[in-house]
Amino acid sequence: MTTPSFVDLDVRPVLRAGGEPFGAIMEAIATLKPGQGLRLLATFKPTPLFQVLSSRGFAHEARELEGGDWEVLFRPTAAAPAAEGAKTAPSDDSPWPEPVQHLDNRDLDPPEPMVRILAAIEALKPGEVLSALLCREPIFLLPELAKRGHGWRGGFEADGKTYRVEVRIGAGAEAKA
Amino acid sequence: MNASDRALSDAVASERNATLPGVSLSRWTMSYFAAGLMSFALAQGLMVAGYGYPHAPVEAPETLALVHLIALGWLSLLLCGALFQFVPVLVAKPLHDNAMPLPTLVCLLIGLLALLLGFLQLGGQISLSLPFFPVAATLLVLGFTLVLWNLGRTLWAARPLPLPARFVVTGLFGIAGTVFLGAIFALVLGGATSHPHLIELTARGVPIHAIAGLGGWLTLTAMGVSYRLLAMFMLAPELDRLSSRLAFHLGSGALAVAFVGGVVAICFEWRLDFPLLTAALLGLGALALYGKDMLFLYRARKRRTLELNSRMAAFALLSLVLAAALVVVTIARGDLSTHAPAIVYLVAFGWLSGLGLAKLYKIVAFLTWLECYGPVLGKMPTPRVQDLVVEPRAVKWFGLYFLAVWAGTAALLFDYPGVFRAATALSLIATVAIAMQLFRTRRLRDVEHATAVAAGARRPRLLWSLSRQA
Repeated sequence: MTTPSFVDLDVRPVLRAGGEPFGAIMEAIATLKPGQGLRLLATFKPTPLFQVLSSRGFAHEARELEGGDWEVLFRPTAAAPAAEGAKTAPSDDSPWPEPVQHLDNRDLDPPEPMVRILAAIEALKPGEVLSALLCREPIFLLPELAKRGHGWRGGFEADGKTYRVEVRIGAGAEAKA
Repeated sequence: MNASDRALSDAVASERNATLPGVSLSRWTMSYFAAGLMSFALAQGLMVAGYGYPHAPVEAPETLALVHLIALGWLSLLLCGALFQFVPVLVAKPLHDNAMPLPTLVCLLIGLLALLLGFLQLGGQISLSLPFFPVAATLLVLGFTLVLWNLGRTLWAARPLPLPARFVVTGLFGIAGTVFLGAIFALVLGGATSHPHLIELTARGVPIHAIAGLGGWLTLTAMGVSYRLLAMFMLAPELDRLSSRLAFHLGSGALAVAFVGGVVAICFEWRLDFPLLTAALLGLGALALYGKDMLFLYRARKRRTLELNSRMAAFALLSLVLAAALVVVTIARGDLSTHAPAIVYLVAFGWLSGLGLAKLYKIVAFLTWLECYGPVLGKMPTPRVQDLVVEPRAVKWFGLYFLAVWAGTAALLFDYPGVFRAATALSLIATVAIAMQLFRTRRLRDVEHATAVAAGARRPRLLWSLSRQA
């Protein structure tokens, strides 16, 4: 693996002002390109963050600077998201490729929308994305996707009636039965 | 740990909760359904044998035992089992604790048994001098507190709540009030207290206890859940419009006026007419708006051919309309108290039990299908949900059930106790037959053998569901 480039984020001013840097850190993580890491500067060793970012596929390396501040390097690890399965699936904010398949399942009787999505993703390759339109939040589908190791993200469109879900076939998708 | 560190770990904790998506199967819901159906069949068997009203007075211990076997053993267990699965669906958040419903069920069942024995003791039918009523009060308070805790935590985590879930919240206040009064009655009847206010509450509070239970808990909760389930199963729009919100406010207001007003009136030795009549008007207003919304849902649906559960739910709604009409007519004629038993019977058997049986027919099939075939969907051919049921076979039993209940209501109104027993025998036969259909669905008896349990799919257990999330 080549040495990744790092994006710098200094949250010390926020912390000294009594602020809460978690949102800024997660935003920075979301804008990283594949292979990029994050160099974080903080006034203390941000232990709780290590676990969150490890579940998103980042290894950490922390060292104390002179004056008591800390520098932490978060580097992406290749296969980490798959290992965590359910927990990482919905929290992956990095850019996704264009969907290779679109489904409009808005007029189907439940549970047919879920059945069609699960059938369609079986034909896709790891890393490929499927998008689907639904008429409600697919609450029984989401745990099944997580269990199968696929990433997903979704939400209601501006009209408040159409739910769009995108599924990215996970590297850790279980072997076909 | 300094302040920033703590803020960070709080954020981390909420982040972790947010990463558990969707809803898994409620583990013990099927046990609640099975216990409920057995109580319902037993109660109808006793009625056929001539036990309780109309062969004994309304306030006789036998009648009270029967009423609680139905309201607690059947309707409340059915509703609790359904809520453990569907409150998470309403709010798209997992149930707070998926293991707690089992100890809860044990508390409720033993509490119910103690309560029934207490009534038999009160009627002199058993001469054991054990403290059945205080035991019943303790266990039922404990059981329903666990229900409230589990569902309350689930709902609390999901604020702001969608409208159907807000109906459920009011329903939970209803059960809290019902159990609160019931526990006082049990302690007074069991001789555990002789406080004059509590004795007065026991003497005059029965209508409030019944209204909070049948109206607040069972009816408002069923209304809330039906807003969502009917929309879901008929492909109709989710309703959150003025009439639905007004129905919610009027219904909640009716419960509050009946309960708070009623208890205050008893404590100050005022007449109960005023709060109960006000509550009745508010409640009828809520029912009218709810009826209008349900009519709209049926008309605005995208699914042209209705499944059995939606067609039978319409008969349950019709029973509710009939009951409301009877309330209006008998208030106008001044003989509400004479006909109250017939109206309560129609509400409990036609509306609540009818809706319950209709929705069970869909829910059992859907949950069984999801448990058995969810993990292999898309990987191999699987049956559809509708392949787990045989609607033409079930529909005649549902038809018999509703006809028997309407005949029974007429028999009570016009005072033909013999006809009532015959009608109850028919509704019992229909109930057992519907329960057999549910059993067949759960055991995949009607699925083609080749696809019944394909490799990788697992055959569901009768009484519990395997959790799909570790």
